This record gives sequence, structure tokens and C-alpha cells, in this order.
Amino acid sequence: MVLVAVLASVLASSCTRADHPPGGQAKTEAASGAATGASATARSVRAPVIDDFGDTLLLASAPARIVSLNPATTEILFAIGAGARLVGRTTWDLYPDSARLVADLGNGLRPNTEGVLAARPDLVVLYASDDNRSAARSLRAAGVPTLALRIDRIAEFARATRLLGRATGDSGRAERVVDSVQATLARVRRATAGLHAPTVIWRVWDRPLLVIGGGSYLSELAAIAGGRNIYADLPQPSPTVTAEDVIRRNPQVVLTSPGGETRWRTSATWRGLPAVREGRILVVDTALIGRPSVRMGEAAVSLARLLHPGITP
Amino acid sequence: MAARSWLLLVACLMVAAVAGVAYGSVSVALPDIWRSLMYEQGGDALARAIVRDLRVPRVVLGALVGAGLGMSGAALQGTLRNGLAEPYLLGVSGGAAVGAVLVVVLIGASGATVPIAAFAGAVVAVLTVLAVARAAGGRGDPRLLLMAGVVVGAFANAAIMIALANAPANTVRGATWWMMGSLADADWAQVAWLSVYVAVGGGALLAMARQVDILALGAEPAASLGVEPDAASRRIFLAASLTCAATVAAAGLVGFVGLVVPHLARGAGGRGHRTVIAASALIGATLVIAADLCARLVLRPVELPLGAVTALVGVPFFLLRLRTLA
Repeated sequence: MVLVAVLASVLASSCTRADHPPGGQAKTEAASGAATGASATARSVRAPVIDDFGDTLLLASAPARIVSLNPATTEILFAIGAGARLVGRTTWDLYPDSARLVADLGNGLRPNTEGVLAARPDLVVLYASDDNRSAARSLRAAGVPTLALRIDRIAEFARATRLLGRATGDSGRAERVVDSVQATLARVRRATAGLHAPTVIWRVWDRPLLVIGGGSYLSELAAIAGGRNIYADLPQPSPTVTAEDVIRRNPQVVLTSPGGETRWRTSATWRGLPAVREGRILVVDTALIGRPSVRMGEAAVSLARLLHPGITP
Repeated sequence: MAARSWLLLVACLMVAAVAGVAYGSVSVALPDIWRSLMYEQGGDALARAIVRDLRVPRVVLGALVGAGLGMSGAALQGTLRNGLAEPYLLGVSGGAAVGAVLVVVLIGASGATVPIAAFAGAVVAVLTVLAVARAAGGRGDPRLLLMAGVVVGAFANAAIMIALANAPANTVRGATWWMMGSLADADWAQVAWLSVYVAVGGGALLAMARQVDILALGAEPAASLGVEPDAASRRIFLAASLTCAATVAAAGLVGFVGLVVPHLARGAGGRGHRTVIAASALIGATLVIAADLCARLVLRPVELPLGAVTALVGVPFFLLRLRTLA
């Protein structure tokens, strides 16, 4: 029983990964408004940046030693030309290939603060999950400028990229990255607009049965690629659902990461699901579609081709 | 135990089983359920899939899990002369959890390997408990078995926490979900193999019920009645633990059933252990089916962890029973 209680708390804390940091919304909008204004004067870093924990970041000059503890922000930093300034990343930041050359500092949630400080950063970028509040506090207390960013939705990618552009001193380049991703997404949206959009379920995990819900950027991505997520109505990013409910909602297509298709094809649980019986299980490229980051445009293209073979977005 | 009590227990089990098939996270009309059950063909395809592929195997698996846990708890409480004794306390749950968590963390599998690893982990833990008790010189001594079980369980907890400390969120979620017990993955293949284990293990326990009666008197009286206490307790301990390990492999950790059900069986008028073990099978099956139904209905469409619900449902009965004991 004690064990269960302890693990339940571990579980609870790991689930907050997707929660919205309280009180972040209004400040966030203010910050993105400020970011757009600043993009006109590229390389100006003196204006304060307000992050998703509501903390203010004031940089005297462009940072030269950056630690990025979120795979998505690491991708963004490389894309906006700040990759050479990275001196630390998490174990999971493996894209682009040059990210592998950056020192691995371990976890991005509840990071090892001592290890981060030892890298002598002048900017730390954290994922804005409640798990990271204490790390952000200790890093700031140690005098290290810290920026906590939440990137769970497509819109948040644009905002985070602009904020990082301002923080690193190249707003113009950040703007071009955002434009390029948004242009690709718009192209895919146009290509799938007239097509019949099948209902899809996006399986994440089997025990418990986790699917992509409306709170995930993957649900938005599926919509852009011409699919209708049957769990778009659930607010969580990856809710637990029941097999009975999946069968009732009767998706026309099953999307899954590699490995899931065999289990769904062979399990007696899914025998009653027409999509499975008729072989409409599609395997998504998880290496590409893993992060709400720079490659979201490519991810949307690959997803659209999967759902609508023959189209050329 | 009077024939009326048996009838009542069977009636409760039937009611729970019917309710378990009739209700769930999705509402299905009763006539559709009836048609799905009775006819091989036709009827509403959605109702057929839900009733035949999901609910019926789930209820049957729940009955087997509850029966197995109830019987092994009853046999162990008698043998070890301790009302707290149950297979989970004796290392089975810890060992099974280590096996399952290691597979989830290392292989990341959410498939067929988890039950096998859980069963293997439970067997290793049970053999360790026996070896520790033997090394301490007591072999089948109830106190040594209990203490060895608690120590092995504590070791297992530590191993699990280390394995999960740096695991990704979904892995932790999967492992925790397994440790809280669930029947959501029930299918006929699982029902088939678990029924073999519960039939063999439960049959063995019923066959040894007379020895449990004698051991419950104490080691010296047992010896004077011609039962070698060490060897007999070891045999019963093994049979009970393996039965329990099989249920854990099928449904994860479903707490409280092995502890509370034997007390309820004695409360229902069971005296000799043959009666207590058999009644524990019926009560355990009813409790798990009922708890699973609550787990499915209370917050639907989200399912609650079965292990937590069995405790919630079981505690009031247990408190009533404590009052009559005091």
C-alpha cells in the first residue's frame, strides 16, 4: 500500500508535465505581443522577456553559453542559429545530429541543478512544467538567467521560437523559422481541405490505454493532415480511455507508433473494431512526429501522405 | 456452514456477474446484450463486440482473480496462525511488481511479456522467502516466513523506485497502472490459462485444508497429530503463493482481497478450513467483480484503479467484522 501511494505520487508528478502552469496565460499573451514588437529591432536583447512561469528575464547581452533542457527548444535553438552556443542538453535531445555533440546533462524534468550549474551557462531554457518550478527557482537563485517555456500546442511553438529569438538576439531569423513552419502547415491544410477526413484514433500506449487527446499538438496536426481525432473533445494531451468507448466511437483509421500495430492486429480486444478488422492501422514516423518543434511542417506532410495516399502537399 | 449461507454467497456472485456484463463505461441496451450473448450471429455489432470480446471475459477473469486471491489468503491465514497473513505480505506482490516493472522499463513492452515477468518475479520472491526462512533455521516457522516476506517486499519496493526514478512519463504511468491492478486487458486466452492455475492451486489448497486445520492449532499439537509442521506449511505456502502469483500476472496487484476475504468467510459461518477456503473463493470472486464494476462506472469513461476500489469496497465489511470480533 505504501508502495502504491509513493508511486501514485510519482505518477501524479509525471503527469503534470502537460498541465498548464497556473497564471501563465495572460502574461504569455503580453509577452508574445512584446516579442512581435521587438522583432523589428533584431539583436536588441535589453527588453525584458516574461516566461511561462511568469518570471521576468532580463539579459544584458546575448547569451554565449546556453543549456536547453527540452528537446523541442534544442531543435529551435539550432534552427535559429544558436546551436553553436549550446553547452548542455537532455538525454533525449537527439535532433539535429549536431545536438548529439552537446554535453548530455540528464533529465529535462527535475534536472540535476548542480550539473547544469557546472556547465557555467548564461542562459538555461527549461520546459515549463510544474516539475521544473523548483529547478527554475534554484537556478535563478544561483544567478543564472532562466527561461521556462511551455510548448504543447502548435501556437506555442511560434511564441516560444520568437521568445528564444529575442533572448538569443536574432529575432529576424526566429521569425523566418516560424514563417517557414507555418507556411508548410498552411500548404498541408489547403491540400487536405477538400478531401473526406476520416475519423482517427491515435494510440500512444496500451496498458493503460492512452490516446492523443485534444490537448496535444498531435491532435491539431492530425486535423491539418486531414483526419478527425475521435478524442479531440478531451482536454488532456494523452487521456486514458476504455476499449468500450473506443469501439463505440468507432474510428475509421488507427494511428500508432511502431510496435503498436502488431498488438492491435492480434488482440482479441480489437476484433470488434472495423478499422482493425479491415486492416486500417497506420504506423506514424515517431522519429519525425515526436516534438512540437521545427519539423512540424514535415510531420504534417508525412501524416497527410499517410492518411491520404497520393496527395502531394 | 448452513446450506442457506452457501446459497446466499452463490446468489451474490450471480448478481455481481450479471451486473458486470450488463453495465460498463458505454451504455448498451439490455435486449442487445441478451441477443449478443444468446445468438452466434446478428444483432448490433457494437453490442456484440463490447459484450462478447470485452465484458464477459472481463467478468470471468475477475471471478478467477478474486477466487484465487481469496483461497490463498484463507489458507495462509490458517497455516501461519495470523489474521494479517496474505500472499501480498509474503513477498508475492513485491516480486511480481519488480518483474513487471523491469520489463516495462527495460523493454518498454506493454504486451505479452509483462505477465510472464510478473509471474517469474513472484516465484523468485517466494523461493527467496523460503530460503531466508530456511537459512534462519526455521523453515516453515510462521514468524520467520512473515518476517522474510516483509523484508523481501521492502527490498522489492526499493528496486522498483530505483527502476522508475528516471523513467519517462509513459513508462512510469504504465508501471504504476499495473501496480494498481486492472482487468481492462481481459481476454479469453488469459481466462483459459488463469483458470488452469486457479483450479490446480485452489484444488491443492482444498485438498490440504485438513492440514491447515491442524496447523492452525499450533506447531506442537500439529506434530502430535502426525503432521510435520515445517513441511506442511512450506507446501501450503508454495501452493497459495503460486495461485496468487498467477492472478497477479493476469490483473496486476489487486490489494486487500487476500486479506479481507477470509475474514468475511469466517464471518459468514465458515469454521473448518475446507469451508473457509471454498467460501473465500466465492466471496473473493464477488468482491473483485463488484469492485471492477465500480471502477468502470464511478468516473466513466475513465476507469479507476481496481486495487484501490477493492480496498474501498472491502474496508466497510472488514470494519463490521472487526466489531463482531472485539
